Amino acid sequence: MTAKYKRIFSAAWIMGSLLGLLLCPGTIRTGHAAFGEDIEKPKPEFSREGDRVTAKYIPRAKSTSVQVHFTVSGGKLVEVRGLEWEIAERPEVDVKNFKSALFTIEIGDVSPGAEAMVTLSSDFFTSSTQFYVFNEKLSSPWMVSECENISLPDRVQDLVIKVIDGGPYDSDGTVNGRIFFVGGPRDSFWAYALGTLFIRFFGIFLVLGILQICMELSGRIFQKMDINNSQKGMRSESEPLEDVSIPQAIGNDDGEQAIDTESVSAAAVALHIHLSRLRAPERLELGTSESTGWIQHGRQMAMGANPSNTRR
Amino acid sequence: MSWSHMLELIQNILITQTGIPNLAVNQVIMILIGLLFLYLAIAKEYEPLLLVPIGFGIFIVNFPLTPLMGFTEHGNPELIRAFYKYGVEWEIIPCVIFLGLGAMTDFGPLIANPKTLIIGAGAQLGVFVTYLGVLFFGFTLKEAASVGIIGGADGPTTIYLTAKLAPHLLGANALAAYSYMAMVPLIQPPIMRMMTTLEQRRIRMRQLRYVSQREKLLFPLIGCALIVLLIPAVAPLMGMFMFGNLMRECGVVKRLSDTAQNALMNIVTIFLGLSVGATMQADVFLTWKPLLIFAFGLVDFVICTFGGILTVHIMNIFLKDKINPLIGSAGVSAVPMAARVAHSEGLKADPDNWLIMHAMSPNLAGVIGSAAAAGMFIAMFQ
Repeated sequence: MTAKYKRIFSAAWIMGSLLGLLLCPGTIRTGHAAFGEDIEKPKPEFSREGDRVTAKYIPRAKSTSVQVHFTVSGGKLVEVRGLEWEIAERPEVDVKNFKSALFTIEIGDVSPGAEAMVTLSSDFFTSSTQFYVFNEKLSSPWMVSECENISLPDRVQDLVIKVIDGGPYDSDGTVNGRIFFVGGPRDSFWAYALGTLFIRFFGIFLVLGILQICMELSGRIFQKMDINNSQKGMRSESEPLEDVSIPQAIGNDDGEQAIDTESVSAAAVALHIHLSRLRAPERLELGTSESTGWIQHGRQMAMGANPSNTRR
Repeated sequence: MSWSHMLELIQNILITQTGIPNLAVNQVIMILIGLLFLYLAIAKEYEPLLLVPIGFGIFIVNFPLTPLMGFTEHGNPELIRAFYKYGVEWEIIPCVIFLGLGAMTDFGPLIANPKTLIIGAGAQLGVFVTYLGVLFFGFTLKEAASVGIIGGADGPTTIYLTAKLAPHLLGANALAAYSYMAMVPLIQPPIMRMMTTLEQRRIRMRQLRYVSQREKLLFPLIGCALIVLLIPAVAPLMGMFMFGNLMRECGVVKRLSDTAQNALMNIVTIFLGLSVGATMQADVFLTWKPLLIFAFGLVDFVICTFGGILTVHIMNIFLKDKINPLIGSAGVSAVPMAARVAHSEGLKADPDNWLIMHAMSPNLAGVIGSAAAAGMFIAMFQ
């Protein structure tokens, strides 16, 4: 095994260990209570408009409020209330999956034993949102409802659930013309967290990739413009001009090629760097607030004299 | 007045108006932590510009009965609470710092070598891995995002995102970010050496092309337009950053540019440091969360460095002109510390290899990358 592969292997091993430590099942803690407080608890506020009740709240993992509209057909929507999670908390459910609040929906004027259709409508729901029903009278109180998820314009999703008076979804469990329906919309927390993780990480590549392409293109355009400008400048320089100030040059009297002072200073700096094997000082001053064109030019000339370029 | 009355009065004064009887053990611990950070900043010169005000903020706010971070009877904020409320809570100071940073930044190396933007993106790997890791420890999504961004090694971005998503973690996150940024020369070199061979560290890169003033002038406008179009949530940070850079490059508002780079930057740094330090009161800070944040912050930095170097290795498979993988580590913002580290590691392998300007390029890309990551997180919770 070459040194290169050894290094890659050991790096991968260390990174794997770190990841393992992060994801070690023994250290996994789920649930909001890992640190003793539920800081994202939704606090719905309800308002009524005719037969429609609207809940407004900030769901978990959101900074802005959402609205959920409740309507009922086949009965009268009497009231919608919020339900404390602690009441419905069971080991088999994770609060993280319930980004929205839990609701108690009270329906009246139902023909005894008949069914009513409850509709929850919101642009916060997705096509994969399910509705989980809670009925503490059952042996397994949490169950996924047979809910119809309908996509409407403007990204609105309707969750339509059929509830039967006295049926398993009716918390009072009796055929009495009233239905107490408890539950809440459920979205998979880990699916969302992992999905958004990959999308957003590659999103950064995408954004910076687009920026890179634009910079490459604009750079080429600018380089071309600069070349054209310099060619124009050279052309105009070749024409005889009056009152041209000749740069101070160093040369000999034997007619050998003269070198201007700027090139000499740049070459001197380059030689100094090369001969002294200049090492970076502990604190390099990178502030270039005072950099003039002359300094930039000198710097480039100095870097150009670096043997790194000549060896390549 | 009898002696008993006098004693009662003295007792009342001692209990209600002096700090000594109210000083709790956890406050003493926090005061010592404040002193530790002051020591690190003053004696070891670890990010002194930030750690001196932060350390003093921790120190002063943990004395009992101090009217600094509370509210008066009339509901007005007390001294440092006012700095915090209007500077940090309103998300003003981090953006003003970005203005100053923009005015101080020369984008020349990045414009000359735009390929390195990809390194800046790759170096955000730790941000997302840590985000996932802390979720397993019971952090909420918002908290996880604010802890993850520590690895971006960009102080103002960390503060901006944390103030927005998880203000209760502001102190711990800011302290972790600045502490690890100060420790970049200690954290990065072993990872850099582990992930590269001597041969790779000796790779010499082609000299950067000349960048005209016109290009530098147009970069903040083009860059800002593109980034804000793609991630509107990052407009406050990126807008200020690019505005600062435009002031610098346009050359006609030198006074404004100087003010943004120096006076304004220094003023807001004082208020930011004090405010952040003052959030670290004993009852909030001495819990498991800050300890976990410090642990994950370190992991975050390590993975971000790993991500940057790995990205260069992957890029080198496809590139004709190879990139020295050492500059990948500079993809974690921490300008210019990370670039300096890459440069000095390069010099150890080859004393003639000048990497500093090449490393500045991914370093600047890292600033944009971490701001983009912050924007992604903000957008996620909207």
